[in-house]
Amino acid sequence: MTAGGGAPRGRLTVAGLDPLEIAVAALAAAGEEQAEAVVQVESSGLARFAASEIHQPTLIENATVELRVLHGKPGALRAGTASTNRLDERGIADLVRRARDAAAGATPDPELQPLAAPAGGAPAGAPAAALPGAPGWDAATAALDGAAQARLALAAIDAATLPVYGFFTAGATGLAVASTAGVRAAQRTTDATARIIAATEGASGYAERTAWAAARVDPAAAAREACARAERTRGATVPDVGVYRAVLEPYALGELLQWLAFDSFSGLGLLDGSSCLTGKLGSRCLDPQVTIHDDALDPEGLPRAIDFEGTPKQRVAIVEQGIARGVVWDTATAARAGAGQATTGHALPAASRAYGPFSSAVAVAPGEAASLDELAEAVGDGIHVTRFHYLSIVSAREGIITGTTRDGTFRIRGGRVAEPLVNLRFTVSVPELLGEVLGLTRERLLTSQSDFYDDRFAYAALVPALATARFTVTGTGGGPGL
Amino acid sequence: MRDLAQLAVEAALAAGASYADARAVTRRSQSVGSRNGRIETLDDSESEGIGVRVLVNGAWGFAADRRLDPTGARAAASRATAFARAAGGRGLKELAPLGAVSGSYATPFTIDPFSISLAEKAALCLAAERGLAHAGVAIAQASLRALRERRVLVTSEGVVTDQEIVECGGGIDATATSDDLHQVRSYPSAHGGLSAQAGWEHVLALGLEREAPRIGEEAAALLQAPVAPSGVMDVVIDSEQMALQVHESVGHAVELDRIYGTEASYAGTSFLHPRDLGTLQYGSAAMNVTSDATTPGGLGSFGFDDEGVPGARQPIVAEGVLRGFLASRETAAQLGSGSGGTMRADGWSRMPLVRMTNLHLEPGDGGSLDELVDGVKDGILFATNRSWSIDDKRLNFQFGTQVAWEIKDGRRGRLLRDATYTGVTPRFWGALDAVGSADEWRLYGLTNCGKGQPGQSAHVSHGAAPARFRGIQVGTTT
Repeated sequence: MTAGGGAPRGRLTVAGLDPLEIAVAALAAAGEEQAEAVVQVESSGLARFAASEIHQPTLIENATVELRVLHGKPGALRAGTASTNRLDERGIADLVRRARDAAAGATPDPELQPLAAPAGGAPAGAPAAALPGAPGWDAATAALDGAAQARLALAAIDAATLPVYGFFTAGATGLAVASTAGVRAAQRTTDATARIIAATEGASGYAERTAWAAARVDPAAAAREACARAERTRGATVPDVGVYRAVLEPYALGELLQWLAFDSFSGLGLLDGSSCLTGKLGSRCLDPQVTIHDDALDPEGLPRAIDFEGTPKQRVAIVEQGIARGVVWDTATAARAGAGQATTGHALPAASRAYGPFSSAVAVAPGEAASLDELAEAVGDGIHVTRFHYLSIVSAREGIITGTTRDGTFRIRGGRVAEPLVNLRFTVSVPELLGEVLGLTRERLLTSQSDFYDDRFAYAALVPALATARFTVTGTGGGPGL
Repeated sequence: MRDLAQLAVEAALAAGASYADARAVTRRSQSVGSRNGRIETLDDSESEGIGVRVLVNGAWGFAADRRLDPTGARAAASRATAFARAAGGRGLKELAPLGAVSGSYATPFTIDPFSISLAEKAALCLAAERGLAHAGVAIAQASLRALRERRVLVTSEGVVTDQEIVECGGGIDATATSDDLHQVRSYPSAHGGLSAQAGWEHVLALGLEREAPRIGEEAAALLQAPVAPSGVMDVVIDSEQMALQVHESVGHAVELDRIYGTEASYAGTSFLHPRDLGTLQYGSAAMNVTSDATTPGGLGSFGFDDEGVPGARQPIVAEGVLRGFLASRETAAQLGSGSGGTMRADGWSRMPLVRMTNLHLEPGDGGSLDELVDGVKDGILFATNRSWSIDDKRLNFQFGTQVAWEIKDGRRGRLLRDATYTGVTPRFWGALDAVGSADEWRLYGLTNCGKGQPGQSAHVSHGAAPARFRGIQVGTTT
């Protein structure tokens, strides 16, 4: 696993395509004074299975160029974007025409920022992942074809003692950004995930493995974990609604924080007042045991060197020992914030930039607990949650999220995991849930947060299990299993 | 495109597939968004490619390639076949019979949305957004979208269809903020406005500029509104929220792939069982739900689904009793009933899945919204979705709305904020007391219905009138 995958310095090909070369060519074709080309290349497979049979295996080959054109002078710039996956001369010519038309259709914008020169950290012209030590690309993962991915899915199926539902997926993606301001940045990444639900009538359990190298994903181990958990869910009972102490496994905590991050860890959320950290930076808002970063550079995560503006990723402290420290930024929101705020390398593609910067590498610092059992001891009497289902933000400003539990919910009695429970409806204020923490595990797990909509962009949260004093159960649903 | 799809099918058969279909798709979309007087988004995107689905030894395989040329078509066919062979099957898959269908379909429209320049669209956004200005409104936003998609389907059973779908829509949002509140009010619906399969005349008829002052005023008023109370009470739910209620607690629950477990690993399963057909009491006698892929303006309308089955209308719930499921050819054969007709894929790079088309709560005899409110002594009127969540079996749900009003003695009273209600699907629908009349029935389009792995977004529509329910658990978000 070498940075750059052994490719010549400056050429980071994915599926035979060099994203940076395509971006530079699109920029040249545009011939504009101010323009930015972003290229994404995807070569991916996903072997989905149900009832232990691969039933929806999908292979995707795609490459998309997004061209952003700016017209006018600073203080009255007009911007438009267009994209295509037609990479031939005619496709690129059409792309240029549509991007120009889009820019011409805009009104002058006094707040619009000119294209930024290359940011510090990576020399102009040097593809980021070619820098020594940049992780995130594994040639063996990129080489997995459909048959190999099917074999890895079948490994999970063969290891299972119950019917299993889920998928094995692996993908290779390339991202390149080139601009008339001199940005030349590129990275290629790989990712692999095995996601397993073992389920039968009245019983279900969940497990997952995610890494940037498929060799670190053991589908069979995930299947065995899911089956063992499922066996313990038979005979689920219905608890009373109310506020419980609870253990959240990494699968649950990772998803909860990712949903909180959409608004609350974003510079746009902070500016708009939809972040629960609004007005709280510098003050204590969570339990002192809680430290949260956005850390796309961690090799234990799914490393990313650059964002969709070509800006090098920064490690951003969100909460340190319970004190709110910051949020992630892109160029536009950083400029709006003023006071010297700079982008932290968290921009989305131009067409999606109105959603603000995106925290895609949530990482929670580990605690001291040696195991989930130790957290259960700390809880004493409460609930153990494996994972969540269908979260929804009830109030972004207050960090209130609702959802249900799924595939492994248990009662904790006398400091030990006890009888299984039906799926629970919960509605929690996440700041309150994280405001009184009873412990976190030393071990952390990388939990995939991507459902692979649109162009492949794998992201994940690196989190421990956590015990909280406040988990509010507001209703009950169906039992585990099918 | 037809020749390429035919080439892909032939290549798949030559590689050993017993069945093959190929969809060649081109899609163009435009989106324009403004915020506080600035154009924030002005985007014109296109994507094209071919997706090939095969059956080899009873196992499915699917591969998609962006290259809409013979090389891409052959490559997708070859890779799909190899993937299916490696996946291994459990014997032959039975598909509900389908003849050698051939035909075309095109969205009827008056004004081509792509004939309206991006500059005109930007101007409309800015004009609509201006009307939202109100003390307390910190963020005023408007958005417009347009889509054109051509998809050609060829199957090894002789299906050849050629369809062109045109969609457009838009909406406005006012966000009012104070030191500790953040309240949003949207029109004509939340989450990106109201889209339809129609021409630009649909956008012009939305009346975004006309409604903007009311929306801005309501957003600001939410800052002063009390929090909605908690308790068990009678409720009236507006047609926009009812559309999502139908979507989540009926539409997804009656998808046969969920019922058979093949969506278990993501969107979930269903509390329903195949044997429930014709016997399960889903709700009260006032509940009538219809699936209709032929609804004019519906985002789920088509001539043929992505297996080539002609679009049709079918009852799902009639007078409270479960009467139909949404099916593919495979799940219809498994059920031993029907012919499928609701298989839809998101673009060229995803495999078709069982999907809602247009799923409607049929109008009743409850009269107008005011007449429904008139029948409540002490309750809440909910309007415009804000949050939504439902469990994996589609039983326990919780919805929040942007606004609510208290109802006292049959009259709409104070504006309320942070209103939610919760329930369990059959009990909730069993509490349905009345559905508004046909005059109150509106068609709402959703463009973000997620399902499948890798994820797919479907565009679906729901027609609904306001409805009244008795004895519902109302909660608050704080």
